[in-house]
Amino acid sequence: MDEGALRTGLRPRQMYFLMFLMTLLTLPIVVGYLWIFISTFSRRTHGLIPVDIEGRPFRGLTLENWSFLWQDPNIWKVTLNSLILALGLTVGVVLISAMAGYALSRIRFPGRKGFLALTLILHAFPSVTLLISIYFVLRWLARIPVVGRGLPLIGGIGYNTLGGVILVMVSLQLPLGIWLMKGFFDQIPWDVERAALIDGASRFLVWRKILLPQIKPGIAALSIFTFIAGWNEFLIPYTYMTQQEKSTIATYINSLLSETAPVNYSQVAAVGLFQLLPVLLFFVFTQEYLLSIFSGGMKGGA
Amino acid sequence: MAVIEAERVAVEARPWWRRAWENLRSASGALLFMSPATLLVVVFFFIPVVLIIGISMTNMSTATGFQNWKWVYLENYRRILKHPNTLQVLRNTLMYVALTLAFFNVGMALVIALITTHIPRRAGLLYRALWLLPRLTPSVVYVMMWKYMAADAPYGIINRHILQPLGLATTNLLPIYPWVFVILVNGFIGASFGMVIFTSAIESIPREYLMAALVDGCTPWQRIRHVILPLIRWPLLFVTTYQTLSLLTSFEQILLLTEGQFGTMVWSLWAYERALSNYWGNFQWGFGAALATVLVLIGIVMAVVYMRYFQFEALIQEPKIETL
Amino acid sequence: MEVHLEHLTKRWGKVVAVDDLNLEIRSGEFVALLGPSGCGKTTTLLMIAGIYKPTSGYIRFDGRVVNKVPPKDRNVGMVFQSYALYPHMTVYENLTFPLKLKKVPEEEQRRKARRIAEMMGIGHLLDRYPAQLSGGQQQRVALGRALIKEPALLLFDEPLSNLDARLRLTMRAEIKRLQMELGITSIYVTHDQVEAMTLADRIAVMREGRLQAFATPEELYERPRTLFVAGFIGNPPMNFTQVEVIQQDGQYLAVNPDMRLAVDPDRGSRAAGRGRVIMGIRPEHITLARDGEPAHLEAEVYLVEPLGRDDLINARVGKETHLHFLADPALKLRIGDRVRLRVDTSRVQFFDPETEQSLLWS
Ligand SMILES: Nc1ncnc2c1ncn2[C@@H]1O[C@H](COP(=O)(O)OP(=O)(O)O)[C@@H](O)[C@H]1O
Ligand SMILES: [Mg+2]
Repeated sequence: MDEGALRTGLRPRQMYFLMFLMTLLTLPIVVGYLWIFISTFSRRTHGLIPVDIEGRPFRGLTLENWSFLWQDPNIWKVTLNSLILALGLTVGVVLISAMAGYALSRIRFPGRKGFLALTLILHAFPSVTLLISIYFVLRWLARIPVVGRGLPLIGGIGYNTLGGVILVMVSLQLPLGIWLMKGFFDQIPWDVERAALIDGASRFLVWRKILLPQIKPGIAALSIFTFIAGWNEFLIPYTYMTQQEKSTIATYINSLLSETAPVNYSQVAAVGLFQLLPVLLFFVFTQEYLLSIFSGGMKGGA
Repeated sequence: MAVIEAERVAVEARPWWRRAWENLRSASGALLFMSPATLLVVVFFFIPVVLIIGISMTNMSTATGFQNWKWVYLENYRRILKHPNTLQVLRNTLMYVALTLAFFNVGMALVIALITTHIPRRAGLLYRALWLLPRLTPSVVYVMMWKYMAADAPYGIINRHILQPLGLATTNLLPIYPWVFVILVNGFIGASFGMVIFTSAIESIPREYLMAALVDGCTPWQRIRHVILPLIRWPLLFVTTYQTLSLLTSFEQILLLTEGQFGTMVWSLWAYERALSNYWGNFQWGFGAALATVLVLIGIVMAVVYMRYFQFEALIQEPKIETL
Repeated sequence: MEVHLEHLTKRWGKVVAVDDLNLEIRSGEFVALLGPSGCGKTTTLLMIAGIYKPTSGYIRFDGRVVNKVPPKDRNVGMVFQSYALYPHMTVYENLTFPLKLKKVPEEEQRRKARRIAEMMGIGHLLDRYPAQLSGGQQQRVALGRALIKEPALLLFDEPLSNLDARLRLTMRAEIKRLQMELGITSIYVTHDQVEAMTLADRIAVMREGRLQAFATPEELYERPRTLFVAGFIGNPPMNFTQVEVIQQDGQYLAVNPDMRLAVDPDRGSRAAGRGRVIMGIRPEHITLARDGEPAHLEAEVYLVEPLGRDDLINARVGKETHLHFLADPALKLRIGDRVRLRVDTSRVQFFDPETEQSLLWS
């Protein structure tokens, strides 16, 4: 048995005990996800046991729960919406944070310290409490001709549009993004940027050609993090998009759950797994990045 | 030479308008980079904060529409004070925040961080990855999983696999122990934040300290108590303040789990429900805004305190390029 | 290109990094900025490059004030101590980056890059990334990148201090050769006086943001105007002792409780009658008296530091006056040995202990 992350001096018996304890604590998670997995392939489940219509155990395995993939045209529409939301959010957050983070880290301008303090405050600010007034802001934005509610793909930037939801989410994610990006820019040596300026670049070109390529890992981490946040988001689209055909997977699942009884849990679980799958794949392959950004964000925050 | 001297003096003692102009010029360079962020912050933070305070002083609701509302000033706040539910919601909120924080967001987070750094590395990584899962799962699916956990026999997992075999009476557990589930649902998501931060804090404790403690004959437990915990008190404080604020304002899981039924209404959900989402379609924006404003004020105060604590000045360095 | 610094000053809050610096650098000249670290050399260089804005004073290129000209329009090339190569670009891309920004046609870029690469001996490295190069190779690339745009002024900020000793010698020679061939006005920042002495036409010595001296290496060595310059230039550093110079029997004697040294009348006369002064003797002007030769001083070997080619001897004269000098290791001097010393008294220096100014040169 290899040593713990710290040298512990624990005896194997003690270590096994700790692992047993940890397993016990983690059990609800394991059982819960196991159930999701089992039930998506069962007609019904009694606890973790798949059953058929008559309730006979270990029967009734089926692929039928996945039939929404080919039978329900809505699923692809909401998937597309979720994808647009997540991608739009990612592009918005990464681009805007990378710009602001650069200026805050590297350009002298009046108000710089103030803005930095502000991002830190907003980072800890309970932004969900502003949902009520953002509702009014979105209704105003909707009144702006064309961009308000007449854009292709995202609908517009106002109330009841995908674009509006994206804008709100970008804003809410921005303080964290700016803070992280600033941290990444802080780490690039000054001489590299000075050299580029002397070589004849403007500050914009330096940002674009010299600095951005050097913080690619940071950008990747922030992108993954933001994409997952967008893909999973429930509350904002639920609050600001009332029309069914514009909803995202998350709100779609919720509508399945709150529909007329009885709810087909197995099918809902299948849709849920369908939504979870890309995130899981992402997570498995990018764990290290995510952890580094989580703890990197902490360094920025604490 | 005299001319140069005069010019030099002129540069040294720049008049205020000259300095203002130079400030403006350098600001315009940064403007290109700052404007999108600034615009969004203004539109989705500044305006909403002002708006919510403004709305909280009106009687705006679906009944009045957007045209016929009136200023009622502090009336909504008086209504909050006199509302029969206020005390209960307040108590609920405090209980919810305190218990979730103590048992999960800080307590469980610390336990996991400590255990997973004391067992083999790979096992530790696996457990931490599992604990991150709830945060990565769409909340709708995640809450559904818990609902199924609590559901009545023969469906519900707890009923089917624990209560039934023991011969106990089965029933849907959610309405009976609503708080247990509210805290579990939120806690299993909330623990991962502190877990990640504590783990990286523990792992970055200089090895010499830890070795020295062992050499001095500390038991692992004594070492945790006297070496590790004191060394991570800063992250502990950070997680506690930060998560208090998050819990105070988070209501998504409760909304999905109970919608505030079974006596699980908390302050933020109350505001949300009143203003934006309820069965009757009667949106009381004014009253909801007043409820939210209370949280906004708490948030602002806590955020400022949090900034004081976490030595903002030390985090910023002056840019070492002065040209644009 | 001529570079003139006039009353150049840089402050950060209370810190005065550069204080009223005046310097006239002639076209094609190689000037070294020499001083201990933290004295404001880099700050001066970055102001000339346009990265920092002067708090006051002027920078003139060929007579034109460039204070407000952005770095990209100053036509300078700069080599950094950290090399400052772009880590995500290959050597070729690093070299051609300045040309790309100037929108030089591809064909010409290729030609120039090849020529520079050949000149710097990095032709075989063009496809590598900076992380795959040794320190010396990286510095060559950095130098090439500074040269490729044919700047009118070259700035070096301690370019050799990250290299190992041997490579430093080679690169030093190479920089000198290049600068002489190309005739580009150069300003070379260093804290290493040997580097400054070997490379520069003239050396500007700085201390705490102020200019101490600006002269040729020989001048600084033979005729240091301040105590600081005298101590800073020369290796091993000059010996300093407090003495009083008195006139006796037509001779000038430097006297303190430990010694009486007859000094050159030309020099001694300027220090005489001033009470206590500081006398400076370079280690290389102290030699061991051969048998039969009259000695100026008698001393006891206090410490021996072998330097390889020489032994650096710390000898005690009288009770507490210590003098350093170099001796042949073959003599095998030991601690406690008595030695008889001769001093080239025509080259001793005298300084006012209050003002630290030279009493000989002003
Ligand atoms: N960007 C800056 N902000 C504040 N102080 C600085 C900055 N750059 C340099 N200094 C200070 O100015 C002084 C001179 O620094 P520098 O020019 O780097 O010295 P040198 O290159 O001679 O070692 C030092 O005291 C340094 O701390
Ligand atoms: Mg320096």
